[in-house]
Amino acid sequence: MNREKTYAIVGVGYTPQGRVPGRTSLSFHLEACANAITDAGISKDDIDGLICYRHFPASSDENDLTPYLVAQHLGIEPNYLSQDAN
Amino acid sequence: MLDAGLCRYVLISYGHNALSSDSLFTMLMDFAGDDAVFGHFGATGGYALAARRAMHEFNTGPQTWKHIAVAQRAWANLNPQAVMYDKPMSFDDYLSSKYVVEPLRLPDNCLVNDGGRAVIVATLERARDLKHRPAVILGLGQHNPSVQVTQSGILTGSTGARKACETALSIAGITRDDIDACQIYDCFTYTVELTLQDYGFFEPGEGESWFSGGTTGPGGRMPVNTSGGQLSEAYYMGLTPLSEAAMQIMGRCGDRQLGPATQTKEPNIILVSDNGGILQTHSCCILGRI
Repeated sequence: MNREKTYAIVGVGYTPQGRVPGRTSLSFHLEACANAITDAGISKDDIDGLICYRHFPASSDENDLTPYLVAQHLGIEPNYLSQDAN
Repeated sequence: MLDAGLCRYVLISYGHNALSSDSLFTMLMDFAGDDAVFGHFGATGGYALAARRAMHEFNTGPQTWKHIAVAQRAWANLNPQAVMYDKPMSFDDYLSSKYVVEPLRLPDNCLVNDGGRAVIVATLERARDLKHRPAVILGLGQHNPSVQVTQSGILTGSTGARKACETALSIAGITRDDIDACQIYDCFTYTVELTLQDYGFFEPGEGESWFSGGTTGPGGRMPVNTSGGQLSEAYYMGLTPLSEAAMQIMGRCGDRQLGPATQTKEPNIILVSDNGGILQTHSCCILGRI
């Protein structure tokens, strides 16, 4: 198996879940991302690709979530940003 | 991007204040077109349409779906992070719960919750130097055979799941018999039945006997949605099943860990699914230990 052409999940990030009032969707993205980075044992500067999962419309008091917004708030500059929305 | 050398570590993220904001209500309003006048309203309406059609075509219904909902709840009862961790559910509880849209009851529906989830993907070469046992992507498949539920001829299968699974198994070089557990996108119980049916675990109408006896629950011969899934853990679109598969492969699941802890097979190979729309799009991913 070619290890340079084989890929793996190396970290998982969780957040509090259920009823967690007073939080934006963006804040959940950021917390999950930060926890995944810590979990993998890497630095946020190592992240050079960011994909935000397809998502539901934003609430009326929040702007639509874009990968750029998540990257900006994480303080990273990935080579690749993508979003699959439905 | 990894393959092209553009990226070393790709972060995949989801977050939603679904329970505590007006976001889902906004979405339901957006969904409601002319067909809302006729009672087709929201995702539950679409899946209820498909589930009702399936009840007409082959043996399925609440007596099949109760096994799915109860088995996943039993997994959630082993997962302290699950929204339904401290809420056991019996068959009677299931059958006496209220309908959202007939024939789908409340426990046939996924949860609405606040929260987020993320995973990081890297090359296996880099993964070897990191903390956890890598959850290796052995195969991937996608098939998206329709755009709108109103134009779909596949409400009762086979959906895109069949081809997506064939592709993923082929890339992985394995057969269905090699699968130790499944993490199936479970927006509704019926989705779990139809996906596993399209994957070939049983023939149409045989789901009730296949699921009965705790097949997919703790101690079962084919564990499904071991975090509790979207029905009983939390909803993060495809990241609920994908992250749980990775955690099981890594061996980090505590009381719900597949293997001796739950009298189940060691999770060497886990099949993962995601689908979108009302069964319009489908992705299949196989994760494993190597």
